[in-house]
Amino acid sequence: MSKQLVTDSVCQDPFQLSTSLLKKVLMTALSRGGDFADLFLEYRTSLSVLMEEDLIKETDETLTLGLGIRVIKGDRTGYAYSNDLSQEKLLEAARSAAAIALAGRVHPPDFQFRSLRIKNQAGRVKKLATASPLQGKLRLVKRAYQSALNFDPAVKKVQVAYGESTQQVWILNSEGLSVKDCRPMIRLTVHSLAEKRGHWESGYYGGGGRVGLEFFKSSLTPEAIAEESAREACLLLEAVDPPAGQWPVILSSGHSGVLVHEAVGHLLEADFIRKKTSIFCDRLGQKVASGQITIYDDPTIPGFRGSYNIDDEGTLPEKTLLVEAGILKEFLQDKLSARLMGQKANGHGRREDFTNWPLPRMSNTYIAPGAYPAEEIVQSVKKGFYVSHLSGGQVEDSGQFTFSVTLGFLVENGRLTRPVKQATLIGTNLDILQKVEMVGSDLDFGLQTATCGKEGQSVPVNDGCPTMKVAGLIIGGKS
Amino acid sequence: MKVRSKKNNDLRLLADELVETGLKKGADEIEVTIYDGRQFEVGVRLGQIETLVEADSKYCSIRVFKEKRKASFSTSDLSRPALYSLVEKAIKRAGLTQPDQLAGLPERPRYKVDELSLKLSDPALAELKPEQKINLALETEKIGLADRRITNSFGASFLTNELKTILVSSNGFNGEYGETDASLSLGLQAGQGDQLVEDYWFSSARHLKDLASPREVAKEAVSRTVRQLNSRKVKTQTVPVIFEPLMTSWLLAFLFQCVSGQAVYQKASFLADRLGDRVGDKALRVIDDGLLPGKLGSKPFDAEGVPAQTTPVIDSGSLRNFLCDTYAGRKLGLASTGNADENGIGPNNFYLQPGSVSPEQIISSTRKGLLLTRTIGHGLNPVTGDISRGAFGLWIEDGQIAFPVSGITVSGNLGEILNSIEMTGSDLNFYSQFSGPTIKVAEMTVAGL
Repeated sequence: MSKQLVTDSVCQDPFQLSTSLLKKVLMTALSRGGDFADLFLEYRTSLSVLMEEDLIKETDETLTLGLGIRVIKGDRTGYAYSNDLSQEKLLEAARSAAAIALAGRVHPPDFQFRSLRIKNQAGRVKKLATASPLQGKLRLVKRAYQSALNFDPAVKKVQVAYGESTQQVWILNSEGLSVKDCRPMIRLTVHSLAEKRGHWESGYYGGGGRVGLEFFKSSLTPEAIAEESAREACLLLEAVDPPAGQWPVILSSGHSGVLVHEAVGHLLEADFIRKKTSIFCDRLGQKVASGQITIYDDPTIPGFRGSYNIDDEGTLPEKTLLVEAGILKEFLQDKLSARLMGQKANGHGRREDFTNWPLPRMSNTYIAPGAYPAEEIVQSVKKGFYVSHLSGGQVEDSGQFTFSVTLGFLVENGRLTRPVKQATLIGTNLDILQKVEMVGSDLDFGLQTATCGKEGQSVPVNDGCPTMKVAGLIIGGKS
Repeated sequence: MKVRSKKNNDLRLLADELVETGLKKGADEIEVTIYDGRQFEVGVRLGQIETLVEADSKYCSIRVFKEKRKASFSTSDLSRPALYSLVEKAIKRAGLTQPDQLAGLPERPRYKVDELSLKLSDPALAELKPEQKINLALETEKIGLADRRITNSFGASFLTNELKTILVSSNGFNGEYGETDASLSLGLQAGQGDQLVEDYWFSSARHLKDLASPREVAKEAVSRTVRQLNSRKVKTQTVPVIFEPLMTSWLLAFLFQCVSGQAVYQKASFLADRLGDRVGDKALRVIDDGLLPGKLGSKPFDAEGVPAQTTPVIDSGSLRNFLCDTYAGRKLGLASTGNADENGIGPNNFYLQPGSVSPEQIISSTRKGLLLTRTIGHGLNPVTGDISRGAFGLWIEDGQIAFPVSGITVSGNLGEILNSIEMTGSDLNFYSQFSGPTIKVAEMTVAGL
């Protein structure tokens, strides 16, 4: 049902290009001796709405139309793109990309396109948001705005943002692949500012994913999002500075998923592996983590922000087992890295838009549930730090990572006591992975609003984990 | 060359036509911006070309106002049917939002900044052949890899951009300018096994002659990388922290966020109620300047056509100005400072006035402290001014660099930092739109073991 709606009512062919022209473009791209060429056609419409100071201040629409052409020769990539889809411009771009191969003129081998039919599993959409009238979306925004303001008299300023997009892609390559997909996305976020005695704090919450507007009726209401945001701001008014130094740390389920994203996921991206800059490059099959740790990256979870039906190279995605009971099993591959490493592409080649070439990326990354009830984990800590909300993190190839805790709690005698604000956790990934002492049974996922950046390209992702206890992590703080 | 100028003329006519169309279709005010860019980028790694990008692209961005209601759009599809339909939809959408008495275009500016005086374009860049660009990147990496302490390369890259910006508004403003920039960078890794360190260096400029040579970039990348080898952790303590120029830059980027008029009227800044107050030592001077010839953040007019200017943000330690676009200015009862950019409010050249001491003098003045060389992570809160980041640096003992440190965090508060800058170096370079010299901050918490 949902599939019909998505493919028929909105996603008509926006490109108006013949396959014979596109074949000619691919042949031109290979005319200097490239091994492989692909085309990424993109048509994306996005809408955003912003409310602040009691006003719907603005609505903005973005239309992205263009073609990216990639030519691979050995481990070299030539890339060109154009927002002008005229035959002349496409052939000019193909000639620019072709130059990477450096050879004289060659006659590339002939091929025929085969259309790959895909089934829609990534989107969980009854009605596409893009096809719904604006008024309903404005109502969602106003409801969220009002609930955040009503939550507590301390809440003084609220900002609500709604965003939606529908991205249509058509991917063709010189192996004869031709595949189209339509990718919806929505997101509602609330930023609350609370004030007490001249001291201000902020809270943030949001939700969405590859879902339709009905998501905000059934799964997560605008009111629920607003209240979580306002609650965080108010709690932080009472919060103390973090305890600096090394402490046992409990990571909350869901929100702490950014840890697996930063500490493990990035360093399993195959480009870092084949270039031997990642600390994991020679560790396939070895024990890299506590035996309680099993990690997946799964682009096929319906409705999730990081999900897709095909990756941005037209490869069908797979739920990838990265680490099993502490043993490193597989890397996140795109076509280029997979070919150079003699491994199988597993559907993790992603790009921000047509102006960028694909890179190995994460989708929805999570730590599988373990054996311990969450309460038992908290009760096991006499004195430590509980991480509740995180705003993001960063990792280097050497395994050094940080992540930023917006809201935490002190743990005293097995109970959460005072709220703690603005702490930074730092460590090296091999160290923290070994130090995970307890993995909870309560797997949960983070907010469906996250975006991951790599080499200047942003893609939507999600991550998750159960409650976990880590023996000792360095907490940056002032006290 | 002739063909390109004709094309730009076409784009200018298109902008005029869209303004007319918007007014005809019922907009009270309309502003049309068209960008016409050309990008070249080469990445090399381990002596081989890894990536090569060449592209032209155009982009149009429009704001409309109707009965004090605003809507906007942007598009990479510049076909007339697409543009016309987007204009119509925007006017319709504006009707569904709420009126805001302060919304609208600026008054037509009374003067124009002479584009040529700003020296934004370097014709030499357009004439550089692809092979020359590729060789710059190859040479940079080769010099870096020649150092035996370097064990791996993230690659070197050279990139150039040429961009033409055309802006036409229904308030009578029309203008256009061209600009160029180039940058050369190299990332390196050193060490082995679990003890890997990495860093990079770059040079970025509008004019080829202002760009650092491959040797300069490579030497700096090597020295920044290897100086971190054999790092130690330190105990949690409060010490003076010296910021290298690149670190002062991120501190300034954070300060910018806190003096942006939008954050101020939203109360999302700890400086929101502090205009006119003393916020730092009397020597402290921070400026936003769109008029510095040849610098990366200079431009004749901002995204709303307001002429660029020199705005003292902090002068003699007092908070003098917030940086505003037209709307934020009206909200705060201030004038626009010419800081409108495509996404709201952005910097021109936002920098900290240099002092007279050398970085070496600053280090030798420090009995015990941290020379901060790199940070990772987020951990900046404009509402409170709180800072907490993962950090790398060099530990200082008795005025000398003793050993590298990693696995630590630094934390403090921007408000307190502004009040405790003890020394300001003379080493200001305009590497980016945010720039500052080496500074010494009296104390911050360094958290470690």
